Amino acid sequence: MSRALLSVLVVMSMAVTVGPARTADKTAESTSKSTPYTPPTIRYEAHIAAGGALPDGGKLINPFAGDKKVIATGEQMFSSMNCDGCHGGGATGFAAPSLADGRWRYGGADDELFQTIYFGRPKGMPAFGGLMSPEDVWTVVTYLKSLPKPEDVPTESWVGK
Amino acid sequence: MTSVYRASLSIILLLTTLIAISPAARSADGGQWTMPGKNYSSTRYSELAEITSDNAKGLHPVWTFSTGVLGGHQGQPLVVNNTMFVVTPYPNVLYAFDLTKEGYPLKWKYRPTVSSNAIGVACCDAINRGATFADGRIIYNLLDGHTVAVDAESGEELWKTQIADMAQGETTPMAPLVIKDRVIVGASGGEFGIYGWLKGLDAKTGAIVWTGHNLGPDADMLVKPGSFKPHYDKEVENTGTKSWDGESWSSGGGPVWGWISYDPDLDLLYYGSGNPSPYNSEQRLGDNKWTASVLARRPSDGSLIWAYQFTPHDGWDYDATSALILADLPIAGQSRKVLIQFNKNGFQYTLDRATGELLSAKPYVDVNWATGVDLATGRPSVVEAKLTGASKGLIKNVCPSLEGGVSPAAPPAYSPKLGLFYTSINNLCMDFGATPSARFAGTPYIGGNTPYHVGPAGKNLGGFIAWDAVNGKRVWGTKEEFLSWSGALVTAGDVAFYGTLDGWFKSVNAKTGEVLSKFKIGSGVVGNPITYSGPDGKQYVAVYAGIGGDLSLFANDTSADATDVRPPADFMPDLARHTSHGGIVWIFGL
Repeated sequence: MSRALLSVLVVMSMAVTVGPARTADKTAESTSKSTPYTPPTIRYEAHIAAGGALPDGGKLINPFAGDKKVIATGEQMFSSMNCDGCHGGGATGFAAPSLADGRWRYGGADDELFQTIYFGRPKGMPAFGGLMSPEDVWTVVTYLKSLPKPEDVPTESWVGK
Repeated sequence: MTSVYRASLSIILLLTTLIAISPAARSADGGQWTMPGKNYSSTRYSELAEITSDNAKGLHPVWTFSTGVLGGHQGQPLVVNNTMFVVTPYPNVLYAFDLTKEGYPLKWKYRPTVSSNAIGVACCDAINRGATFADGRIIYNLLDGHTVAVDAESGEELWKTQIADMAQGETTPMAPLVIKDRVIVGASGGEFGIYGWLKGLDAKTGAIVWTGHNLGPDADMLVKPGSFKPHYDKEVENTGTKSWDGESWSSGGGPVWGWISYDPDLDLLYYGSGNPSPYNSEQRLGDNKWTASVLARRPSDGSLIWAYQFTPHDGWDYDATSALILADLPIAGQSRKVLIQFNKNGFQYTLDRATGELLSAKPYVDVNWATGVDLATGRPSVVEAKLTGASKGLIKNVCPSLEGGVSPAAPPAYSPKLGLFYTSINNLCMDFGATPSARFAGTPYIGGNTPYHVGPAGKNLGGFIAWDAVNGKRVWGTKEEFLSWSGALVTAGDVAFYGTLDGWFKSVNAKTGEVLSKFKIGSGVVGNPITYSGPDGKQYVAVYAGIGGDLSLFANDTSADATDVRPPADFMPDLARHTSHGGIVWIFGL
């Protein structure tokens, strides 16, 4: 019975996940200065720009930002795509870092998160862009961006001795 | 120390230098440490007896070295021909220290190319469990699925073979063992739904000679006609598919992330297989052979000879990858060639290592998922209420936790002199909530949420015990505040050694458990102490500091990464007050 249930779940998740992949360009909107040869922005929060000049870059816009229904779907997808296997339930961290504490290794802006999930990152973040459509990736981004950021993450405890 | 003693030690040393090069004598003691578990029997017992329970209080650090790497420093150094060899966690640097010179300067350093992607495919930190020495070569695994052989004198890479596929979720932290002309290796990935295997490589060239899967069709498991004789199975054909529903075996896990042992007389190698994938057991009905099992193979061609499954249809992540100690024990008045394991599932098993017959299974920590193991059938008497599965919801309070009564990462030791086994233990239980899981190769295939809590044996989470396997009972035990993740070492001087998660390195009287010395070594210990005889003829003890491994998942804020800050784990909240990441090699002497 539970296997039947699982199959349904898998089929469902396949339906939402393995949609029209490879349509990233549709969601990319060019800035006024960019040309067809301008790569998309990869700008981490703390990057230093040589000479203080930020490089020109294409801008990816999250089409679902703040959409509550998408947030709920994104939470399910975070589990069905096995994101929680490394980042933990609720994205609070496990084998891989927390995505709910406001600290980002590769940047926490919507478009940076999109790139991280779509293309993967060094140190073990797999690329999901071949398995998930850009819409699916945005759905997970929307969920992650909805998580409340704690003001402080306690790193030690004095409950014992 | 008398000069006579010193002279005799020098002779022993000279002898061992000579015989160490001969493969036939590799198991002989001789003051070196040439294999992960000290010898083919994996006893982690040294004949060295200069350090005794009378003088161990004088142990003090004589040398330290920062490995320059953070993260879990599991495994152990090797000492061969007055050279100490240290493998770091990812990026798997191999250091060779010249023990004949003051300050033990480097002879050479080998820096392999290792893919950083391995960090995300390794389930539980980018650890390495150590190297092995054979025929002038150091052989070890890189985390990204490669085995390398390095010339022990020059540091030159002799061969490098890809053995595992990270795209399938395989990584390779385990310690290889060289048996005659074969290098025996396996892969991790029980949390990624791999199709688990053991491989035999040509020791000269690194070429893969055979691959024996731990599950699947007979041809894949290297079941040769008439070769496979498991003690408890009447039907021996395709046990690795018939004990699974559908094709679930093909992503059924059964990784090999622990240790290999070998009996030269029987010409059998032994190893444990890990958990079945996924954690949700309803996606893989049946016994799921041969996951959570011990397997015996012929080293030359990998033929499967016998197997025994500790935890049929495992629903608790009870990998059977703990070290297998080979010993001769008096069982019912008869000396038997046995194999001993302290299994994750809380039972200490004693099996006849020629046949796989179960001789004894006794709980060494609190166990509540089974009431015992039936020696006639070899099967555990499982407690119905502790069975897990996605349809059952959250099953409360299963003991021990999936971290194990002892972690397989923390191998025990055996003193044939005292007839006692020594091991770290954990007093930890869990709730187990299985969930449906879909597999996308290279991503986690787990399907489980398993919060931990302290077990019934008091508020201490860890400890270290001496165990009488003949009578199946604890002889003495020490208590540790936090989980215990260190391997054990015991010597002919009747001293046992272990480390703690809060960073103490301790020596204890092997007969009584009395603490003889302790020193705070800078980071929690998850590695395994060794002992050796130095060029000066004196006995030394070496151990790594460097918390990590599974502990990286819940050891609180021990990381140096500004983007990876961990809140305290609720079952072990104070650990970060006592340790942080660090990778240090320590050597102690009198």
